[in-house]
Amino acid sequence: MKRVVVTGLGFITSIGNNRADAVRSLRECRTGIELFPEFASPDIPVKLAGTIKDFRFPTAYFEDWEYPADYKLTREQLRPMSPNSLFAYCAMQQAIAAARLTPDLVANPRTGVMCASGGSMWLAYENLHTMLTRGVARCQPMGIINGIPGSLYINLVALFKIQGSSLGCSSACSSSAHALGLACDLIRLGRQDTVFVVGAEDCNKFNILPFASVRALSLQTDPAKTPCAFDRNRDGFVGTGGAAVLVLEDLDHARQRGAPICAEILGWGQASDGYNVLAPDPTGAGLARAMTETLRDAQLTTDQVDYINAHGTATPPGDVSECRAVRTVFANGRLPRVSSTKSLTGHGLSLAGAMEAAFCVLALQEKFMPVSANITDLDPECAIVPIITNPIPDVPRIVLNNSSGFGGTNVSVALRRWDNAG
Amino acid sequence: MGVKLSDAELAELKEGLRRCSSATIEAAIRFREGGDFPAIPAIVYGILERYQPGTAPVKIAAATDSARLIEDLGLDSLTLLEIVLAIEEVLKIHIENEELREIRTVGQINQFLQTKITGAHAAPVAKHYSREQIVLVLPQQPPFLFLDDAELNGETVKASYTIKGTESFLEGHFKDEPIFPASIVFEAMGQAACLWLLEKASAQLGKEIKSNHVYFASLDGAHFYRKTRPGEKLEFEQKLVKLREPLAIFEGTVTSHGERVAKIERLVLAFGEQLLTEPPATTAT
Repeated sequence: MKRVVVTGLGFITSIGNNRADAVRSLRECRTGIELFPEFASPDIPVKLAGTIKDFRFPTAYFEDWEYPADYKLTREQLRPMSPNSLFAYCAMQQAIAAARLTPDLVANPRTGVMCASGGSMWLAYENLHTMLTRGVARCQPMGIINGIPGSLYINLVALFKIQGSSLGCSSACSSSAHALGLACDLIRLGRQDTVFVVGAEDCNKFNILPFASVRALSLQTDPAKTPCAFDRNRDGFVGTGGAAVLVLEDLDHARQRGAPICAEILGWGQASDGYNVLAPDPTGAGLARAMTETLRDAQLTTDQVDYINAHGTATPPGDVSECRAVRTVFANGRLPRVSSTKSLTGHGLSLAGAMEAAFCVLALQEKFMPVSANITDLDPECAIVPIITNPIPDVPRIVLNNSSGFGGTNVSVALRRWDNAG
Repeated sequence: MGVKLSDAELAELKEGLRRCSSATIEAAIRFREGGDFPAIPAIVYGILERYQPGTAPVKIAAATDSARLIEDLGLDSLTLLEIVLAIEEVLKIHIENEELREIRTVGQINQFLQTKITGAHAAPVAKHYSREQIVLVLPQQPPFLFLDDAELNGETVKASYTIKGTESFLEGHFKDEPIFPASIVFEAMGQAACLWLLEKASAQLGKEIKSNHVYFASLDGAHFYRKTRPGEKLEFEQKLVKLREPLAIFEGTVTSHGERVAKIERLVLAFGEQLLTEPPATTAT
């Protein structure tokens, strides 16, 4: 079976719109969360979001959108896009440059794209609102494309002239972790040489505030205090959007072209809770099975994992369930260190899996373990695993990235630091 | 037309013309408020300009009538759809897919809109009535209704009736030889005229006419040319000659399979509430 490596990354995230800024924020524990003007109205109980800086979407008309001048798009290119596709386009540009992929390697039958997005609820709403209030004939021609979850792969395939596999994954907050796993398999089976893994979400009231109805969102107003995964006083997650891109590549292919190798993907696994549409199984059995399956796939023992980037959304039931799952899996081995980077970025929903896998690559390359921010009173029920509450000097060599979603879907991915020994 | 746009309509108009020049918006307001047809090209050019990509070989300001929309102005098919949406919304017209198919140049757009808007303004579209719809309008009802369908277009009414052979009066008209009575042919023409009056005259007069307030007044120059029998289709065509309350004057012909059956030079209907007690002294005779 072929080996899979990461050769490029791209970031449009609340903690940085490029690799260097993301590394700095993770290392220095700088939050990307702030008071979100869209939530200012007194009738909105939620106030914070992991905002995406240097992008503005004042209206649903793409011509009113503002984005960094480094990225050039024509009217025709921008017209079918949603905010999440625009974020992804920018992150793709970074990843292509970082991986030193030439245009003929991007537009190539051996290159695919695995995407994950919840779609633009905002543009879907705008389009349907126009249909109901102004008539079917008044709907914008691109309304059929820009709102749906498929919008992400539709736009990227056309923009980058992708010729290989293309797919949009939809499994709630584990969507882009699934995209990563599927991309990994495509390369291992020799079906593709290179696959872009893309997670992207809008960042606005339409895709964040609906979570308030299940009391999943933090009502705090101080980004220095929330979200606080694993803390006794955690009260839910803070939403974010943006995009993250990983270039996955067949090791031989990468070596042949002299690509910069960032890390190796050793394997992945998935399992379902079979429990409830919203709530996680309190025992964490589903996530534990996903991690065990990952270790088996990656041929790792329970002594070898140094760090886990937890799903860790800071909801009261979710964090405990995840800590129990980690405890179960590593009961007879060495417990890995655990942190949630969502405490700095916010929860990127469909984007989370790809974004945090990319953070894992940064941690491996830059030799640090991200801190789980905002913990002042560690929950004893979470303290059954070693949570990283303060900076530590440990250097990770093998890490897991966990993702879980509604319906009890769980994915875990194993990554290894790339030292030229291979 | 001639009505000031409400704040909501004005907001909608401006929304439809987002990013268009203020001159375009002003032209659109003149068109919508004052029926300013000469403003149409300015509106359309303004919309084209707003959607034209910066990379286009020919700028709209320099475009002649022969400038091609795609090759010269750089508009792709989806941009053309956006333009059509904007034009429809601003001019309050509907453009069918078939109508778009032949349009390739700026000149063709102008020509199309001139025909579409001024034409639509002068000649309203024909409206078709089935027998069931006629029953809902006319005071005459089966078995004394001699129209199967009708079409109203401007000041013309066309209608038809196929002689069934089961009409009871044919038993006695005539013995062993069913011939459709000339008097019933003229009655049918009166019914067709009545349909026009009830459906069309109120718009011209600015008041409603009730179906039980229409009366036959007179018939002049009535000619009958040929017998018609069961199975034959009578086709009526009548035109309004004059409408002035309380009278409507029509002229018309009847044919069957292209052959003339009858002609009326002057059929007069009287209408109005004031006629309830005393029929008018008509000027029609």
